[in-house]
Amino acid sequence: MEASAPTAPRVFHLALVVGGDLLDPAGAKLGRVDDLIVRLGEDEYPPVTGLLATLAGRQVFVPADAIDEIDHGRVRLRVRRLDLQPFERRPQEVLLKKDMLDRQLINVDGARLVRSNEIELARLDGWYRVVGVDIGVRGLLRRLVPRPFARSVGTTGFLDWASVEPFTGHVPTVRLRVPHPKLARLHPAQLADLVEAASHDEGEEILGAVGDDPELEADVFEELEPRHQREFVDDRTDADVAEVLARMESDDAADLVRELPDERRDEVVRLLPIVQRRRVRALLGYDPATAGGLMSPEFVCVFSQATPEEAINRVRTTQASAEAVAWIFVMNASQRLAGAVALVDLLRADADLRVGDIADVPQSITTEAEVEEIARLMMDFDLTVVPVVDGDNRLIGVVTVDDVLELVLPRGWRRQFGLFGE
Amino acid sequence: MTRTIGRQARLIAVVAVIGPGLIAANAGNDAGGIATYSSVGARYGYALLWMMVVITVSLVVVQEMAARMGAVTGKGLAELIREEYGVRWSMFATASVLIANLGICISEFVGIGAALGLAGIPVQISVPIAAVAVWLLVVRGSYKTAERVFVLMTIPFFAYPIAAILAHPDWGSVGKSIVEPHFQFNSGYIFLFIATAGTTITPFMQIYVQSAVVERGIGPEQLKAERIEVTSGSIFANLVASFIIIATGATLFVHGHRMVNDAADAARALEPVAGRFAEVLFGIGLLGASLLAAAILPITAAYVIAETFGFEKGIKHRPREAPVFVAVITVLIAIGTVVAIIPGVPVIELLVAVQVVNGILLPVTLFFVWRLSASKELMGEYANGPVFNVLAGLTVFATSSLSVLLLAVTFL
Repeated sequence: MEASAPTAPRVFHLALVVGGDLLDPAGAKLGRVDDLIVRLGEDEYPPVTGLLATLAGRQVFVPADAIDEIDHGRVRLRVRRLDLQPFERRPQEVLLKKDMLDRQLINVDGARLVRSNEIELARLDGWYRVVGVDIGVRGLLRRLVPRPFARSVGTTGFLDWASVEPFTGHVPTVRLRVPHPKLARLHPAQLADLVEAASHDEGEEILGAVGDDPELEADVFEELEPRHQREFVDDRTDADVAEVLARMESDDAADLVRELPDERRDEVVRLLPIVQRRRVRALLGYDPATAGGLMSPEFVCVFSQATPEEAINRVRTTQASAEAVAWIFVMNASQRLAGAVALVDLLRADADLRVGDIADVPQSITTEAEVEEIARLMMDFDLTVVPVVDGDNRLIGVVTVDDVLELVLPRGWRRQFGLFGE
Repeated sequence: MTRTIGRQARLIAVVAVIGPGLIAANAGNDAGGIATYSSVGARYGYALLWMMVVITVSLVVVQEMAARMGAVTGKGLAELIREEYGVRWSMFATASVLIANLGICISEFVGIGAALGLAGIPVQISVPIAAVAVWLLVVRGSYKTAERVFVLMTIPFFAYPIAAILAHPDWGSVGKSIVEPHFQFNSGYIFLFIATAGTTITPFMQIYVQSAVVERGIGPEQLKAERIEVTSGSIFANLVASFIIIATGATLFVHGHRMVNDAADAARALEPVAGRFAEVLFGIGLLGASLLAAAILPITAAYVIAETFGFEKGIKHRPREAPVFVAVITVLIAIGTVVAIIPGVPVIELLVAVQVVNGILLPVTLFFVWRLSASKELMGEYANGPVFNVLAGLTVFATSSLSVLLLAVTFL
């Protein structure tokens, strides 16, 4: 029997180990085994790093090096004296019975969620490790029948740990520290199915695990049903949503933007990279040849009481393009557009003045303005930037001259200059 | 302007979320419920109406906890029991739910047969047709369709308020009975008192509402709307129950027809005193209620089995995707149908047995609902607050005591 052990190690059932006796090296009973501790992460088969036991009514931690042998119904120690220390979780450590048994797991090979009816252990490479879980009904049955009969109940639904990815979000302190490398084996559509089938927190954990690969995360998002997309978008900041949207196909991205609450939509679109932002805008129904499709939401707008220096500081720190900040816009106390001033005029302005004093009354347009109208306005008033306002005269974007030129330049010219050659 | 838009948006949010809470509570006005409420009205008139107010508050408290757990954890009750309390409790709960729901399911098909029997349709025809229709809706229809039909199935309940009005009750004494607690110390009164509590707060309601909230994908951000939905659904269900008591109290009690054996009996008894129309309305209400419950009970049992054992679940799935889930539903409907059409099956004894199983199960379910929804570890900021938790504890204790008392009364 023992000779064949290296090739086919004996498998122990967790449920028959916990609740068993804790014995000293001589075989005398010291207490009861409550739970086994394993470390997830690096090893293919997570090693048992210790156990929890109750000795004389107190729960104590027994480190792995004090354990001699683990078997059904008993654990024998190799030391006579135990250093009685309370258990403190170290990173990546989980309690097998409390945190893993009866919980949902991902069967990576089947790309589906399963429930662990039993956790299987074996001695591998000199130490006790988790080798798999039992997802069959017999694993459950074994835990329901009296112990003397339990050992004769076989295993029908064994799943190798190599195919298992556990959820650890419910385990305190382990959160975010256990990588889920096996998920990378799955197709984005399979991951999306898992996210949809799992609870919200478990879904977050899956998305968090694939989040290291933004392309994959975006692919998974594309595959999610709108209802679930919304669920996960709600928890993310505008910047995070934009980051995911940036990598999605633009039509999927536009669909997701439509699902966003009104108050978030503009901000999220504003944070998209320019190419994706234009595509999304176009798909959202803005005609690309109108101000709504052409505008960039990145500009500098200050209150009229600001000093020129403050306004210039805003220009220094903004991400907006050089063309867009050629003009700085001014709003009144109720955030309505009240003026426009060229950056150059601002640089030359007296430091004692307020921006409101040097700004001119602005020429503004709405999102429906057509490109010809914008071009005419730019020519008539010598503008390189035209502000776009909403129905309440609030600034929502700017159209810059370069974008207008792109559309109004006659086709032949483009070829000649080779700038926009098609 | 903005205010009206805000109010409209809120209203739309509430309407859009109409579903689990309304369906769960109204499935409780099933054949057994109608029989109990009719008996209450026939024997004691309006005397027990005050109790409906107390029961409604308890129902809202309990249902809100279950719905909140579904929204926050994304898991069904059976799933949480297994994860937090271990496999033995979860097996016990699963087995009792299966037995209890099977029993109630049989009574629903008996109710369907009785309701259509009033129209002269023999049970051998009506029950199998109804069974096939329910099965197709649950198994082949999408979640959205099924849920919409379930909501529509509550419309026949409006028959009871109309029947109550047609019965010309003395509204003054109705009002007085609602606000004035009244108690009689005799075994018949106490038995009906407890039975009413038992039929209004049943374990399947908490299980269904939580699993359906999960399947519907209602998250913490929609919790406010879902709470309103659960509350209004529970109040509506108990208003319906109260109108059944008023309808029978104004007719059968006043005319001295004090014994009602089942729901159809109540309908028949209404005819001479309130006219043919009242009987028809009562029959329609009974049919709608029985159909709704005949769909919800197998679904609830299937949720529990699938959640406990980790199978694919949800009425959105096709049989091939969730074979066990669909199999449980199918078996329950099939057994319900067969038993309901076999002549000579002791239905009353069966119902008593069901009540016993439910009586054992209810304290267990309620205890878990209460403890789990109070768990900070599980629910975080959405865990029961201190005051609510005491109120919920009292509700759980009171309701559980009544159900244990019912067991005692049944056996003595």
